[in-house]
Amino acid sequence: MNPNTFENYQTENFFDEMFGNSNDSNIFEFYKPIYDRITDLTESEFEQKKKQADSSFLEHGVTFTVYGDDIGTERIFPFDLVPRVIPDKEWQKVEQGLRQRILALNLFLNDVYHGGKIISDGVIPEEVVKTSAHFRKEMVGFDVPQDIYIHVCGSDLIRDEKGKYLVLEDNARCPSGASYLLENREIMKKTFPRTYQKMSVRSVEEYPEILLRSLENLTPRKLQKPVCVLLTPGVYNSAYFEHTFLARQMGIEIVEGKDLIAIDGFVYMRTTQGLVQVDVIYRRLDDEFLDPLFFNKNSLLGVSGLMDAYLKGNVAIANGIGTGVVDDKVTYAYVPEMIHYYLGQDPMIEQVPTYLCWREKDRKFVLENLSELVVKSANESGGYGMLIGNISTQKEREEFASRIKDNPRDYIAQPIISLSRHPTFCPHGVEGRHIDLRPFILYGEDIEIVPGGLTRVALEKNSLVVNSSQGGGSKDTWVLSN
Amino acid sequence: MLSRVADNLYWMSRYVERAEGVTRLVEVNRDTDLEFYASEIKRDYWQSALCAMCAVDDFANDEIDDHELFILFSKKWSSSVLTCINMARENARMVRDQLSEEIWVELNNLYLFLNSSTFPEKFRSDPENFFRRTIRFSLVFQGLSDATIHHDEGWRFMSLGRYLERSDQTSRVIDTLTMLGEEPTRLDLIGALRSCSALSAYRRQYQGALSLRNVADFLLFSRDFPRSLRFAVSRIDTLLHEISGVPSGNFSNEAERLTGSALAQLNFSGIESLLADGLHESIDHLQRKLIEVGQSIFETYVLLPFEIKNAGVAPMAQRQMQQQ
Amino acid sequence: MRLYILHKTHYRYPSPVCESFNELRLHPLTNDWQSCESCFVSVLPTTQVRQYLDLNGNLVHHFEIPNDHSKLLIESRSTVGTQKRVDFDNLPYGATMKSLHEVEGNPNCRPYLQSSNFIDISPGIWRMAVDIQENSKDVFQTAYQIMEYIYLNFEYCVSTTSVNTHANEVLERKKGVCQDFAHAGIALCRCLGIPARYVSGYFYDPTRDQSMRGSGASHAWLEVLVNGSGWFGLDPTNNRVVDDNYVIIGSGRDYRDVSPVTGTYFGRLPESMKVDVQVKRLDS
Repeated sequence: MNPNTFENYQTENFFDEMFGNSNDSNIFEFYKPIYDRITDLTESEFEQKKKQADSSFLEHGVTFTVYGDDIGTERIFPFDLVPRVIPDKEWQKVEQGLRQRILALNLFLNDVYHGGKIISDGVIPEEVVKTSAHFRKEMVGFDVPQDIYIHVCGSDLIRDEKGKYLVLEDNARCPSGASYLLENREIMKKTFPRTYQKMSVRSVEEYPEILLRSLENLTPRKLQKPVCVLLTPGVYNSAYFEHTFLARQMGIEIVEGKDLIAIDGFVYMRTTQGLVQVDVIYRRLDDEFLDPLFFNKNSLLGVSGLMDAYLKGNVAIANGIGTGVVDDKVTYAYVPEMIHYYLGQDPMIEQVPTYLCWREKDRKFVLENLSELVVKSANESGGYGMLIGNISTQKEREEFASRIKDNPRDYIAQPIISLSRHPTFCPHGVEGRHIDLRPFILYGEDIEIVPGGLTRVALEKNSLVVNSSQGGGSKDTWVLSN
Repeated sequence: MLSRVADNLYWMSRYVERAEGVTRLVEVNRDTDLEFYASEIKRDYWQSALCAMCAVDDFANDEIDDHELFILFSKKWSSSVLTCINMARENARMVRDQLSEEIWVELNNLYLFLNSSTFPEKFRSDPENFFRRTIRFSLVFQGLSDATIHHDEGWRFMSLGRYLERSDQTSRVIDTLTMLGEEPTRLDLIGALRSCSALSAYRRQYQGALSLRNVADFLLFSRDFPRSLRFAVSRIDTLLHEISGVPSGNFSNEAERLTGSALAQLNFSGIESLLADGLHESIDHLQRKLIEVGQSIFETYVLLPFEIKNAGVAPMAQRQMQQQ
Repeated sequence: MRLYILHKTHYRYPSPVCESFNELRLHPLTNDWQSCESCFVSVLPTTQVRQYLDLNGNLVHHFEIPNDHSKLLIESRSTVGTQKRVDFDNLPYGATMKSLHEVEGNPNCRPYLQSSNFIDISPGIWRMAVDIQENSKDVFQTAYQIMEYIYLNFEYCVSTTSVNTHANEVLERKKGVCQDFAHAGIALCRCLGIPARYVSGYFYDPTRDQSMRGSGASHAWLEVLVNGSGWFGLDPTNNRVVDDNYVIIGSGRDYRDVSPVTGTYFGRLPESMKVDVQVKRLDS
């Protein structure tokens, strides 16, 4: 059968990005041009486009490494050719909601590392913050450069069965995926050039430029051109491709821990021309690996003395250290309160209701309703450590129940949201697949968000897990202008 | 550029060059083996090859007890062809963003070929294919590095690696001839020339007159043959000066000084004086100087001054420990 | 037009201050020709921020910082959609100066006809206003002449006046910045019986060479009530009738009613106060 046919397309009971809630196949007007283009393709044209796209990924070496695999297999991140389209007005609301959220998150980090007024005012319980796995007491009282903790934030968005946008989680440590966003766009521009142009899609290519500006904004040496570097854990990291990609796009050095050396409170990189002082480190390495003197003693990835230089203000690190507190899914539950508290207003984007297992009442409810909830570990990401109630086995539920009882602080539960679906090429024609959206929010001189983000798609039928490590793929996201 | 990157590029091409040299050596030895078999002269030239490569102990301690297989595929010995290719790829992987896609693909393909589960079988049935492929790869690699990469600092470090390795290989080949314990035969001399891919170039210059003096003269002092010691050292000298920006004839670091002195020796002495001093001793002396050059490059461009005193005396061995 | 405004105010104190109470008027208004899509006001050191509507209908954020602090950073980020509120081919001429007595008794207009903190109704100013009016009999025409007079005869000059400079002084010295020009215009209008109010806001400079004034700071102008047609904005700093390049935060009798940041604290004067305003157009 022709793979680009919508003949048997079913929206079922989900919100469909192209057709909305209706089953009468009334397509949203803004999807029309790309829909027409796709359905006009002959089978061979389609196959050719698909091949073009795939080989383009290979050529550029757009790959990621899967963990838990001895040989460190590199895979292509599966890419779907049907773009997600977001109209102008809708995006404007999302954009402003994200801006509001990152402001509140950043204020919260400033607060918890400077006395914790929100705690003393009784809005957020102290234990939530202090027991968070990523709370860094070393950072208490330290003023981060420009008061910015989160320079790059990826707050994942989903849409519920009515099409309402909800924040699913915040990634304020080292969110990845920006390179796919940029590569996807390159490929889509080649695949559907005329449709792309006709729909006047807003460009995303500024991302590396804005990122570099945000980094340079942090430099401690204001009088000269800042030296920024990207610190990678190394070639075996799953996102190594992204690290080299971004470093190249920004024109900065990609360094490993062993390329840097801290001497008397300053950080230098070793070059063939001698030591060069480093001003800003865009690190793609978690806090605990940064400096063996401060954190994980066994880390070979970090730089001894880096924290000392950071705390002396001689080098800036982005994202700041200790941002993981807001990635904690228990903290997440309090973000609406943060927005009320710091900004004096309601959240513009709502989030998923969350039951906190360390609250007696919530825990009881969660344990009684395991099969209707998603249980998540508070500090894991990438779709690991998760129980999806309605598709779990009795044994899995029992295991999670005992884990929750043993360690209630580490678990939260949320109702199962039927993520919106998007038409996606499947072997037997176009079918609906669940998606989410990871936008990339950059906080430098001001907050800037490239239009759209990375749309991740669960390629397995009915799967709700979109993470690349769990068989997810991606789509290009087209935000239209006007 | 980052010191680590320079170091990786240097070692990548050094390992590729070494893989080629070792492969040639084995290929030539196999061939000579047959010839000697026919002539019924008994000689343990495998042993002298191991000797020249300082691998006698490694061989004794390795589980592989076949000389040839050991030299080609030992996983423990740092200069087996397999190890060289693996190390070259490992170094390339660290700096993949600096390489052209073509270089990576070629290197990765050979790596996958050598490490595939079917390879031992393939080697047994058609060893020639392996020799051809490995040598060919090295040549393609050189071509690609010259044709697809900026000739900037990184490229210079790659070239340095290549010529240092080459000078080392060539001097070892000549040294083998001095370690036979007797006057080398015609077959030995041809073998030495073939190991350096120098047979036809030699013939063109000397019209077939084979003697230890001529072969050593050619391999040591030829001005234009790209595998002669003089050629390689002269390239190293140029590259070092291009990297530091110091005009040729002066020196700004130990590597430049040692290279300059080795080059002067090659430029201004001749085969006669070397033979008078003892060929083995002279080559040994040159070789040690070149090892020091490698060490000084490492100290100048990779290590920091205060790290040098802790660096140990065997940088190659230390380096491998770092990477595994 | 969609405009995005980033407004940063940064105080540094030479030694720690405390018990700081502040009110912020930074939230753009929503009315018939302007809609504020979002406005985020954030304060560092972190504290709880609350809001209320004041008597002039302006949204006020207020907060307190009891603990010692040596810097205070206030940022607001607003996204505002604006519409052309005037038709330049059809300006609101037609209301006669004589008809002004109709609005005089209107309680909503009273505050904008009397003296206020920075503005006096006095015979001296009245004489000046009458001279500017010449023989104009039209309300809008008169107000326009006043704006033009200020633009042509007053010198735009930073740091000759302060935030507390009274309109009388401005009219006498004929120097100042937008706040002063607005006060002067208001005083002249009120003396002639034209209801005039002070508007605080932002200005997007549409010129390529950024030749207009007031776009790099918080801006101010005046609005006059033309009976039968409503309030119209006039910007004496740029000699411009207010259009969709302007974003209104709020209005009042004078600067005192709408000052962006007011407050009290215990401690020494700030060693520096930096204000930075960036206005970006989003839809072009």
